[in-house]
Parts: sequence; C-alpha cells; structure tokens
Amino acid sequence: MNADNPAPYPYSGPDDMREPVLAALSRVVDPEVAMTIVDVGLVYGVDVTPGRLHVLLTMTSAACPVADVILDDVETELERVAPPEMTIDVELVWKPAWTTDRMSARAKSFMGW
Amino acid sequence: MVSLATGISGGLVRAGVPTPTDTSAWIGPAVAAHAFLMICTFMGTVIGIERAVAAKLSLAFLGPATSGLAGIALLAGWPTAAAWLVLGASIAFVGVNMLIVKRQTAAHTVLLLVGAIAWATGCVLHALGAQGGAVVPWWFAFLVLTIAAERLEMTRLMQRRRGSATALYLVFSLMFFGCAFAGLWPVAGGAAFGASLCMLAVWLLCFDIARRTVRAHGLSRYMAICLLLGYLWLLVAGSAWAATSLGWPLRDTALHALGLGFVFSMVLGHAPVILPAIARVKVLFGWAYYLPLSLLHGSLVVRLVGPWIDFHSVTWGAIGNAVAIGAFLATVAGSAAAWHFKHTTSRTSRHGLPAKH
Repeated sequence: MNADNPAPYPYSGPDDMREPVLAALSRVVDPEVAMTIVDVGLVYGVDVTPGRLHVLLTMTSAACPVADVILDDVETELERVAPPEMTIDVELVWKPAWTTDRMSARAKSFMGW
Repeated sequence: MVSLATGISGGLVRAGVPTPTDTSAWIGPAVAAHAFLMICTFMGTVIGIERAVAAKLSLAFLGPATSGLAGIALLAGWPTAAAWLVLGASIAFVGVNMLIVKRQTAAHTVLLLVGAIAWATGCVLHALGAQGGAVVPWWFAFLVLTIAAERLEMTRLMQRRRGSATALYLVFSLMFFGCAFAGLWPVAGGAAFGASLCMLAVWLLCFDIARRTVRAHGLSRYMAICLLLGYLWLLVAGSAWAATSLGWPLRDTALHALGLGFVFSMVLGHAPVILPAIARVKVLFGWAYYLPLSLLHGSLVVRLVGPWIDFHSVTWGAIGNAVAIGAFLATVAGSAAAWHFKHTTSRTSRHGLPAKH
C-alpha cells in the first residue's frame, strides 16, 4: 500500500473507486526490482467513467519483454475490484518518458536514495 | 531446445565423457561447434525471441527462427549454411535493436544495439572462416553487453553515482579493444578482454540493484542471489581469461566461468520472469529453484578447482553442470504445472467467471 502518498497518480472518477483501484494496482509487483508499479511510478493516470476504467501505464524500458505480463496482471487485479459491467482498458504509453522523479518516497528509500 | 541439448552433449564429450559406440551422426558437429550451438543458436535464439516480444513486431521473430534453424543445419552436417544463417539472424537482430533505440534512445537501449553489433561482427568473422580465438570474444561480448545493458537499465532506479557511467564506458571500450585484437595480437587482446570482464564485475557488484533486492523476499531475492553469484564468476572469468592469454592453462576456467557461472546464472535467475513473457507460460516460484542453482555453482567449483587436485574433476564437474541445467528445465516445467494446478482448482472470482490464466 502507499500510505506515504494518497494520490500517487492523477485520478478522476467516483470517490468510492479511488482506494480499491489504488489497492489493485499496488498488488502488481515487478519482481526484478521488488517494488509495486505504483511505487516505481509507472501509473500515469486512472480515469473511471460509467462503463470504463482506463489506466495509463508506462514501462521503464522499451526493450522490456515483460510489459505484456505486467499489463495482464494489472487487468487481472482490476477485474477483482471493478463492477462486472465495466470495461477495463489498460493503455501502454511511452511519452512522457519515465524518470526517477516518479518514484515514491518508499521506493527511493528502498533503493538507498 | 535442440541446440541446448546437443550443445550440452557436445560439451560433455569435449570434457571427457565417453560417447556411446552407436552415436548418431550429430554428435560430431555438436562437439566441434559447442560454442556456436550454445551462444549463437541457443542463446541467440532465446535473446532474439525476447527482443521480438519487446518490439511487438511479428517480423522480428524471423531472426530467432533463422538462428534456431541454423542449429538444425549444423547438426545435419551443413556448418557453412549454419554460419550464414546465423549471420542473417544476427543482422536481423541488429535491425530490431535499431527499432528499439528509435523508440527509446537511452544508454541501455544503445548498449543492447552495441551488443547486437558485436554478435554480428563475430558471425561475419565466423562465416568468413576466422578461427575460434578471433570469433568467440565477440560472441561472448554480445552476451555480456546484453546482460550489462539490462542491469544498467535497472540501476536507473538507484541514485546515479558520479563517474559511474564514465567508468562503464571505459570498460566497454576496453572490451572492444580486446575483441578487435583477439585474432591479431592475442596476448594484448586477451588481457584487455579479461581485464574488462573483471572491471565490469566490480562495477556490477558495487552499483547493481541486486545489492538492494537481495534483502527482499521470494522471487526478487532469488533473482538477486543469481545475479550476485554470477558477478563473482564474472570476476573469476575475467581473471582466468587474462591469465590464459598470458600463458596459464586456464582456458576451461575462463570459458565456463563466463558461460556457465555468469551467463547461465542470469538465465536461471530470469527464467521465472521471462518464460511467462515469451512463452505465455506462468510459473509458480518456490524454493525448488534453489536446487539447480546450487547444483550449477557447486559443479562449476568442482570443474574449475578440482583439476588442481584431481584430473577427472573436469569431467565430473561438466556432468554436474549438465545435470544442473537438466534439473533447471525440470524445475521450470514443474513450476509451470504447479501454477496451472493451483489456478484451475482455486475458487472462482467474485464475477462468477473462472480465474483468468
């Protein structure tokens, strides 16, 4: 969980979905770095509208072959919290490029900053 | 997989394992081309598939398909065709990496491209008939640079220490000098190549995120252990490589500390993550993964230290190495089956649909 920052990414949508979505995304871990995708700062935004849950995501590397696996994991976790009729749309983007500024305080602490 | 199995078999014969009397025709080529099979047609194919998956381009799979085919060609007794097929695969690989650099121009993507160029350079020399001493350093540089690039990408998560990037570029320059002069001036080329491996090992031991993630749990910790053990073997490999060029009898140590201790340790560490990515096969990580890892590193010590005590240690160590790789494949298969079993017998999700896999 991200107790250090209640709003680690831009969120728009109903208040009652904010926490469950954050919890779901925080369950997706990149084992190579032993951190959640939220802590690393890979989630660029979440937009919940009636019928659609849209997540904007990036990866730290364009040469990363595990991007699809992480996208799958994100969809799986979101399916657990989203209402059945809601379409889950996870979009992978490369701009703006990820930088270390997006890492959470906890991530930086774990990496020895 | 055919390349892996036959490459290992060829290696075992070279290490002194007696062949059965009614050997099939492939064992001859496998023995002669152990490096070609292990580096080009096995690792080259696996890395090619990885890059094609990352590029999300169907055409990019042509390269690894070609290098896989080259392995079959070699075993069928067509080494020239195999050499040219692998050259084609390596050139295609350079192309895919150029695409990746275009998508994201960063130090690590450029380094991946440099590694690809190293592979292609070695393949050109091999296709033109250059001897192994001039070719193999380029092939190993391809593997080392590919691994280093990924680790460099990871180190972005840590605070960049001043001078660390410069140090790394010096290491790679030395490595290239070593490769370039491996054929023309073997003593200087070998010493430089070996020194660059040692320096890279020290850099990784100092700056890699494995120093942090080893304090995590489960899969992350296992990966970090694989990495750190690999870096220690890289240090051994570099020392042995330089020593061999100066006349010491450490060729087996250099080649296999590098190929098994470093490269294969990386493979063992990354398989639980890469296999789901490239084969869409999910695995359940568990303590069983530590068994082939222990076997690999233990048998490598027997192989490399043993000869100073007992002449037959190379053979037994090599057998241990092969068993370790076999055990690793069995562990991966078992963990895939375990994942499948766990997820087909688990409760259905709250939406009333079977759990997604």
